[in-house]
Amino acid sequence: MCNICKKWFCNGRGNTSGSHIVNHLVRAKHKEVTLHKDGSLGETVLECYSCGVRNVFVLGFIPAKADSVVVLLCRQPCAAQNSLKDMNWDQEQWKPLIADRCFLSWLVKNPSERDQTRARQITAQQINKLEELWKENTEATYQDLEKPGVDEDPQQVLLRYEDGYQYQNIFGPLVKLEADYDKRLKESQTQDNIEVRWDVGLNKKTIAYFTLAKTDGDMKLMHGDELRLRYLGELHKPWSGVGHVIKIPDNFGEEVGIELKSSSGAPTDCVSNFVVDFIWKSTSFDRMQQALRKFAVDEHSVSSYIYRRLLGHEVEEILFRCNLPKHFSAPKLPDLNRSQVYAVKQALQRPLSLIQGPPGTGKTVTSASIVYHLVKQSGGSVLVCAPSNTAVDQLTEKIHLTGLKVVRLCAKSREAIDSPVSFLALHNQIRNMDSNTELQKLQQLKDETGELSSVDEKRYRMLKKSAERELLEAADVICCTCVGAGDPRLLRQKFQSILIDESMQATEPECMVPVVLGAKQLILVGDHCQLGPVVMCKKAARAGLSQSLFERLVVLGIKPFRLEVQYRMHPELSKFPSNFFYEGSLQNGVSDDDRRLKGIDFPWPQPDKPMFFYVTQGQEEIAGSGTSYLNRTEASNVEKITTRFLKAGMKPEQIGIITPYEGQRAYLVQYMQYQGSLHAKLYQEIEVASVDAFQGREKDLIIMSCVRSNEHQGIGFLNDPRRLNVALTRSKYGNIIVGNPKILSKQPLWNNLLNFYKENKVLVEGPLNNLKESLIQFAKPKKLVN
Amino acid sequence: PDIVSDPLVDNYPQRIECPEDNDFMAAFDKMISENIQERMKETVKPPRVDISVPMNLKSSSSKKGYDQLLMEPKESTEEKTMNFVLMVRKGNKQQFKNLEVPIDSELALNLKNREEAERAE
Ligand SMILES: [Zn+2]
Ligand SMILES: [Zn+2]
Ligand SMILES: [Zn+2]
Repeated sequence: MCNICKKWFCNGRGNTSGSHIVNHLVRAKHKEVTLHKDGSLGETVLECYSCGVRNVFVLGFIPAKADSVVVLLCRQPCAAQNSLKDMNWDQEQWKPLIADRCFLSWLVKNPSERDQTRARQITAQQINKLEELWKENTEATYQDLEKPGVDEDPQQVLLRYEDGYQYQNIFGPLVKLEADYDKRLKESQTQDNIEVRWDVGLNKKTIAYFTLAKTDGDMKLMHGDELRLRYLGELHKPWSGVGHVIKIPDNFGEEVGIELKSSSGAPTDCVSNFVVDFIWKSTSFDRMQQALRKFAVDEHSVSSYIYRRLLGHEVEEILFRCNLPKHFSAPKLPDLNRSQVYAVKQALQRPLSLIQGPPGTGKTVTSASIVYHLVKQSGGSVLVCAPSNTAVDQLTEKIHLTGLKVVRLCAKSREAIDSPVSFLALHNQIRNMDSNTELQKLQQLKDETGELSSVDEKRYRMLKKSAERELLEAADVICCTCVGAGDPRLLRQKFQSILIDESMQATEPECMVPVVLGAKQLILVGDHCQLGPVVMCKKAARAGLSQSLFERLVVLGIKPFRLEVQYRMHPELSKFPSNFFYEGSLQNGVSDDDRRLKGIDFPWPQPDKPMFFYVTQGQEEIAGSGTSYLNRTEASNVEKITTRFLKAGMKPEQIGIITPYEGQRAYLVQYMQYQGSLHAKLYQEIEVASVDAFQGREKDLIIMSCVRSNEHQGIGFLNDPRRLNVALTRSKYGNIIVGNPKILSKQPLWNNLLNFYKENKVLVEGPLNNLKESLIQFAKPKKLVN
Repeated sequence: PDIVSDPLVDNYPQRIECPEDNDFMAAFDKMISENIQERMKETVKPPRVDISVPMNLKSSSSKKGYDQLLMEPKESTEEKTMNFVLMVRKGNKQQFKNLEVPIDSELALNLKNREEAERAE
């Protein structure tokens, strides 16, 4: 029985991969269980013998060393305490209660074969729907599933659309689904009993620091998010204030920091009894809906050529008649290679082009060069977007180098966040406009006193607005995120030329936000062989929202211009990705010698190949349970390799560690700092993150801890070729994978990779000082499931 | 031959691959790692509860060897089991509950291996 909702479930799997009780606990996020009185143990609440915790996901048992006695203990801290050894328990033998997504069968009896075949079979879809119903009505039953209206899946995205209305009618509901999901998620995250540490920022604004309990895994707190802080205690009258996030948990600390919008009345002398609410903002979703609407109804939103091309209609290709420049490289930027010149040339002549930039092929430089020539050609201003702020900043920096007048438009909530191109941000450029003395004076007054009189405030806003307009209109290039292009400050402007970088990481409606600002010439830069957009609502993702516009256009037969020379990886490192993901078309713009780690002595198994697969068969893998998402043996091997490199003289910031699971990430960070033989600070500065966090970036050395894949199937990390591609193409000088080939080789993709390592004699095992080729046998690959 | 089959479950309803079930598996993985992670972060001190293996058990049934613990299957279809004792706590009182563990479980195999090792010495 689930202790929370008092419903009974059996421990049989039916036709799903976990037992019915586990299915329920996971989907409902319930964690406590009581055994049925008719079971062999009688009515029993499952809890830790020592501390009484009832979370079945952390409970397990250990046997006595010499007797046939077992006891239930939680993994941390009770099963880990040292005194257990003295009490004759066999601590090493701790096994989780839930193995292979079922309760151990001898603890919670499985229904007999006969019962199982006779029982009504409920599918995973039905379980899912029933759980959804229970969220609204706890009394709902299986019969309610058949009632109409319960199950309406959204319409799937199409390849081609009749017109903008059909387009809007399909994407609108998907954006709404994602918005609703996001809203529900954020609003369910209120946390109480928060302790606050107060501080004052350089800009004199009040900052509150606090630590949040681990939020639901789907929730990623980001810079600029809004949180509401409320005081409930008795030492001060009730108070609530809103602020945006300026610090998120990282290697340096788990604290979250928010800068309050207004510090007036904040109980800065109180430290405990605060509550934190997450504030959901509809802005980005509203902007996508607006863009879809505009695309449908406003014939000036894009040129008719682009309109028809985006809808997938057959259109005769056209070329602009334009004066192509003599030199395609832009001032102050590196000279372009052949495929880059070709891409720039094509993009300048066409109303719609796709540019595919595999890892390290100079996508940003190519984009910046295109933008430079677009400005020189048209004289009008060019809009440059990317889905993420980081990508926008990178491109802004390069475009600025060419000498063009660039304005970086930031969301108001992000104005306080520093970046390498802060000085180009609109709000900062306004501060530095010497022409407008009145505005400067008011700004100064506002900064010093924190507030202006209402008359002054009004005047200030008016002056600021017109200054903003002046700057935006005078700019050659405006850079912002895709969603940022929906900013009201851009509404009056039209952009004929629009370039979207990293466009495969934006959903289609997100991409449309800049596009509908008047696109006549649209350049999408990206790589559909790398990770796509993140869509949280599974329903929306399955209906096709997670496919990017770039991808759909490729499927429609628009051939991307591919950049073919990579300047990042050691040639040995680019071999596999080139062959496997880019039909062998990647050439190397760097030589072995350019990418030799000079002065760093490391016992590479093959001296001319800075890579190896470190065969690691961890204990947890044998245990065969969910706990394997945390692999101690791999963590210890990663630490050993890292330490070796640090000792050899490598700097922490040169190293990146990739791991697929949040559990392993946090464990690794802790493990290295406490167990590593060098100073904890060194390990602290090493970035440990998911593949997704490394997309678009590079490190000198990458160490990847695979943890392990699931026996039954392939999901997520290991099964997505695009993710593997990204993981393998982050490093410049060296790549090391730590994992278990026996399990990984079941995946066809990994089987290929493992064979590649084997053929290159870099599949190794043993101590780092004496790495030997491993003779481990691979499993036969299963057919790809998806 | 590509698909690994498990003779034990062949007669049971088979798993049907579907997105909902894949989502469940992903959510399960997340649930496990998050919960464990949370416990590790909390740095709670284990309470001082006496969890030593009780003497009365040591002298009685639990001291029996592997063979004595083996139970004959009640019906011919059932697999062989072994008798273990699960120690639980009701308030401040210790309780012991009998537990039938299949002989092919890790728990039973461990006990067997250990005895064999002892005998070999
Ligand atoms: Zn429940
Ligand atoms: Zn059931
Ligand atoms: Zn405990």
